[in-house]
Formats: sequence, structure tokens, C-alpha cells
Amino acid sequence: MTSLELFSAIQNSGLGVFIGKQDRMLWAVAQIIHIIGIILVLAPIVLISLRLFGAGLYQQELPRLAYESSRLIWLGFALLAFSGLLIFIPAALHYHDNPVFWIKLYLIAAALFIQLTLYRVITKLEKPNPWLARLTAVFTLSLWFGVAFAGRFIGFV
Amino acid sequence: MSVLTFAELLYDSEIGTALRESLFAFPIVEGTHLIGLALSVGLLFFIDLRLVGILFRNVPIPQILQQLRPWLLGGFAVTMTTGALLFAAAAPKLIVLPVFLWKLAFIVLAGLNAAWFEFKWGRDVQHWSHASAVPAGVKFGAWSSLILWSLVVITGRLIPYLSYN
Repeated sequence: MTSLELFSAIQNSGLGVFIGKQDRMLWAVAQIIHIIGIILVLAPIVLISLRLFGAGLYQQELPRLAYESSRLIWLGFALLAFSGLLIFIPAALHYHDNPVFWIKLYLIAAALFIQLTLYRVITKLEKPNPWLARLTAVFTLSLWFGVAFAGRFIGFV
Repeated sequence: MSVLTFAELLYDSEIGTALRESLFAFPIVEGTHLIGLALSVGLLFFIDLRLVGILFRNVPIPQILQQLRPWLLGGFAVTMTTGALLFAAAAPKLIVLPVFLWKLAFIVLAGLNAAWFEFKWGRDVQHWSHASAVPAGVKFGAWSSLILWSLVVITGRLIPYLSYN
């Protein structure tokens, strides 16, 4: 099955047709949930990056800060996935033709990979190597900022 | 000069026109607006959540206030600058759009709330932050900030959906 056939099947599925028939304001509500999800993911990552750079909350223990803010990140992911699917499913074919949509998908995959590996390991350490800490912050920040940027670009391509 | 005349002047200005006509400038400014939002409102939410006692209860209040302040103020500078640019690109349409006026009103209220907090509590944070309970006025300010900035984000995101009817 090609990706085009898959996206076509998604859009023409019962769920795709059902969501597509709803009022346009449902789409606006999904977009609001999406932006709240983005803030819930980006804000903790900015905060932990400041800590990794030693530029903010540097007297605080890194693992504790990371643990407390990870709850916001996962809540953000859940909101993003839910609202993102709500936006994507009824218009899958429209997104299939959009190159920025694919860039966003790859960036999400890369960002999640770093999140579950490098970020997770480094933020569990009391005193990570300072350069490794900075590298983690730069990777995590640029990938998630890239995802947000790509998301804003989709509508303009 | 009326507000509408000013909005039309902005719209026809070089910067307003350039933003509208360039393929990349507009989404780049929008993307930067979003990232500025994560720094400004995002970091401010952490302070508010600390003040109401939901997050980081072991972090001393003066520490979080002082150390995040420069970053979130920098974030607000980015958000406001890019916001002004986005406004210039569509000023005459936005200035008569109710949801945009609501957004402006919530920004003004959130700004007044922040100024009141700084004046009343921020300056002598050392005096009250060691008490076992955070003063009710501080919690009120933090909840107001959380609610008002959320309303700013929500009304902001609604602008494109309520402007093309």
C-alpha cells in the first residue's frame, strides 16, 4: 500500500467522513487544543534547557526539575496527538501533497527519539557533563522549535 | 488621526506590504511569534504554577522569580515585536474584528495584573516568600495571570477562524 492509498483510506474512513462533516468551529477548537499542547511541550523544554545551560534555576536539582516538568510535557503530547489527528484525519489527502507536512513528521520523529534517549538519560543525572548537557539542550530545543515552525509553515505552502 | 486611518497607513506601509507579499516572511514571523510565546507565556506559567503551589514547591519563590524574569521578558519582547508585524500586515481587517479587540483587552488586563503584582508583591518578595503559606493576594495574581494569558492565546488562535466569514 502506498502512502497515498493509506492517506486516502484514512480520509474516506467512517471517522474521516464523520469529522469532516462537523462544523468549522470544531476545527478551530482542535487548533486551540493544539496550541495549548505546543506550549505545554515547549515551555518545559525551554525551562530544562535553561537549567542545562546553567542559565536558570541552577541551584535546583536537575532530575527533580525534569521529573516535575515531564508531566506537563506528556500532557502536552497527549493533547497534540488528539487534536493533531482531529485536524489530520478528515484532510489527509490535502496534507499528503504538502512537503512541509512531511518535514514536520520527520522532525517529530527525530525530536521524540532525542526526547526518549539523550534527553531522558541526561536529565536523570545530578551533574551531567556540562558540554553534553548543553548539546542535549541545543538538540532538543532546535528539534521542537523546528516542529513548531514547520507547523506554522504548513498552512502557507 | 483615527485608529482606522492609522491601521490603513500601517497596512500600506512598506513593512506591511512586504510581509503580505513575501512567500516566506509571513510564516517566519508567525513561527517566531509562537516560539516567543513559549518563552514568555510558557515561562510565566511556571512562575504562576509555583505561586499557586501546583509545581516546583521545593523551589524558593525569589529564585524562580528572579532567574526566569530576564528570559520571559526577552520572550515578551519577541512576541510583541512579531505580533506588531503580523498586525501591520492585516491592520484594517483586524482593528474591526471583535475577537482581536478581545485579545487586546486581555493583554491589557494581563499587563495591569503583572504591574500590580510587581508593585504590590514583587518588590518585597523576601518578606512574604518565607512564610509557610503564600499570601492570598499573590495566589489571586497568579491565577489571574494563568487565566488571562490563556484567554489571550485562545482569542489569538481564533482570529483566522472568525475573520473570513
